[in-house]
Amino acid sequence: MKKNKTMIVVFLTPAVVMFSIIFLYPIFRTVAMSFFKIEGVTDAVSKWQFSGLANYIKLFNTELFRISMWNIFRIWLFGGILVMSLALLFAAILTSGIRFKNAFRAIIYMPNVVSAVALATMWLQYVFSPKFGLFKSIGELLHWEWLAKFQWLDPSHLFMALLIAYCFGMVGYHMLIFASGIERIGTDYYEAATLDGASRIQQFRYITLPLLKGVTKTNITMWSISSAGFFLWSQLFSMVVSNTQTITPVVYMYQNIFGAGNSMTERNAGIGAAVGVLLSVCVVLIFMVCDKVFKDDDIEF
Amino acid sequence: MKKKLLSVLLCVAMTATVFGCGSSGDTASSSDGAASETPEAETPDAGTEAPAESSGDALVYWSMWDAAEPQAQALSQSIEAFTQETGIAVDVQFKGRTGIREGLQPALDAGTNIDLFDEDIDRVNTTWGSYLLDLEELAKANDYESTANAGLMAACREVGGGTLKSIPYQPNVFAYFYNMDIFEKAGVSAVPTTWDEFLDTCQKIKDAGFTPITNDNAYISSLFGYHMSRLIGEPATEEVVKNGDWDNEAVLKTAQAYEELASKGYFSATIESNQWPAGQNTELAMGEAAMYLNGSWLPNEVKEIAGEDFKWGCFSYPAVEGGVDGTEASNYGAQVFAINAKSTKSEQAFQLITYLTKGDADKLLSDMSVGIPADSNNAEWPALLSNVKPVMDSLTTRYPWAAGAEANADMTPIIIENFTKLCGGSLDAQGFVDALKAAGN
Repeated sequence: MKKNKTMIVVFLTPAVVMFSIIFLYPIFRTVAMSFFKIEGVTDAVSKWQFSGLANYIKLFNTELFRISMWNIFRIWLFGGILVMSLALLFAAILTSGIRFKNAFRAIIYMPNVVSAVALATMWLQYVFSPKFGLFKSIGELLHWEWLAKFQWLDPSHLFMALLIAYCFGMVGYHMLIFASGIERIGTDYYEAATLDGASRIQQFRYITLPLLKGVTKTNITMWSISSAGFFLWSQLFSMVVSNTQTITPVVYMYQNIFGAGNSMTERNAGIGAAVGVLLSVCVVLIFMVCDKVFKDDDIEF
Repeated sequence: MKKKLLSVLLCVAMTATVFGCGSSGDTASSSDGAASETPEAETPDAGTEAPAESSGDALVYWSMWDAAEPQAQALSQSIEAFTQETGIAVDVQFKGRTGIREGLQPALDAGTNIDLFDEDIDRVNTTWGSYLLDLEELAKANDYESTANAGLMAACREVGGGTLKSIPYQPNVFAYFYNMDIFEKAGVSAVPTTWDEFLDTCQKIKDAGFTPITNDNAYISSLFGYHMSRLIGEPATEEVVKNGDWDNEAVLKTAQAYEELASKGYFSATIESNQWPAGQNTELAMGEAAMYLNGSWLPNEVKEIAGEDFKWGCFSYPAVEGGVDGTEASNYGAQVFAINAKSTKSEQAFQLITYLTKGDADKLLSDMSVGIPADSNNAEWPALLSNVKPVMDSLTTRYPWAAGAEANADMTPIIIENFTKLCGGSLDAQGFVDALKAAGN
């Protein structure tokens, strides 16, 4: 095909213009905003007051922001380990040729279909309830007093409760990605391995896992993105005012842009922008580490 | 060939989208209602169409309520009646609390056509103060204040910087709400007005087999704020919270008072686990716990659970010995209506506000939402709130939200965490003060 420059320009221009307006402009504006004190997020540039690195310095000196970063790290690491291992386990079981595969898959994926608001209400007001909660009833049924009396929602355990509730909903999604990755692997490999006398566990360890490298990278990337933007569950687990156990950087950002709780508190969209910049840096770092650890698929199959 | 066709189609689709967006945006911003682009509009029977949807003539009202809430339903009914009476069409958009909090200012900055909006008295007057039309003249011309609540009008002027920029409706008051049946069973004949009487009341309730006090994470900081403000006044409390002056002896005194309540077993056993609305729903409304420090919206929120026979009592946070403030001080306020300074229909907007905050419309709102009426001629309050009236009438000093305890957003969650532990007995008074000091560093 002959290269037609006009056609290239015609086709690229809308995309480039859109990309610049929707992606590049907000990125540059956000980075710029993080160096200013700005009361309202849509204030005219003439109202911005330059403050240099003050927003960043304030963030690092604020205990609540440090707590929120620690929370997001815990969600990413512990939640990640929990979700990825369960997702991989379920995916391996579902693709091993068990009966009622589709039914099980639908059940595990179900929480993704239900609204997060409904799920969080169920966990918070029913499952974890210290008065008539599911765990309390199970504890009483089995005469496990520690479980019946366990205070899931007090300040010492609220984070764990949040993590369990959140991960419960996320396993199905990542399981589907793993399952599709496993199904992509040809059955010949397993047949050959079986003939060579490899057990199911050995097959999983030496065939499935190495061939899932690319899919694992996808899963971790997806998980990191959803963790960095962790907001809804945090809001649902501490309605009206935020909580030290559930606050995340995005919630902190929201408070600085729109005000916190019912009180009239100081607003500074510049701090919100600085939080956004820091989060982006974190996500980029995670991507770089991921890229190093999981080098592009060097195995072809 | 196929590829070429596809690319041409894609190209057309893309340009259509780009220009489509542009032109629809243009009509939205320039719709002054003078001319309509649709040919049908020129035919004589087009006038039967709802004007609110088809032209820019309607008054645009952004509301803080969600469409499903009783407040929204009452307002919708009244607005319909208003349109029928006056012929003024109203385009009411129920945005909800977060919708209006996040969206109003950007919309006003972008020049969206909004004539009036509503939200909490403090947020409207402070956060959005620069967008408001001064209503002094409109109020005077319409003799608005002859039947308005004088205290709330004064509060609006106070937060409006000395001038009237908002009109209050749905007044509310923050106080202890209690279950009168439990008080009766415990032999408590009068509501406590001092801290000693409060301790005595708690003991009697506990002896009668009930939980004296419960609360939820959403409101628990108010216990701290009100006690501090009783001791040293609200402005001083706010200073302590904003500047992290946790060495102030009022902080330790407040913590000690709550350590005593906790050690005597006056709090719900699950107070540390109470994530709103667990405490108000499963403890107070179910008749297990007796008292809850909250706003006058509480009886409405739990009315389905508490049932019609639940008798609500109300008293202002008790005075403490040697304190600056007494029971005359509390947070009271209202939702307020305000008019966009750029509105071209300010008189019509004020007409609507007057209609909604007076007479039948005010009464309807009060009845449907179990709220306090704004019109002083509507002297009869909903039965569930009849005991709130004396408290509201007795207040002379106005506290802001949580009596200053939530004035520093960076500290609020930390205060809540440690105060909750203090109430649950897993932290003592000194531990509470130490935790706040550590977080301030």
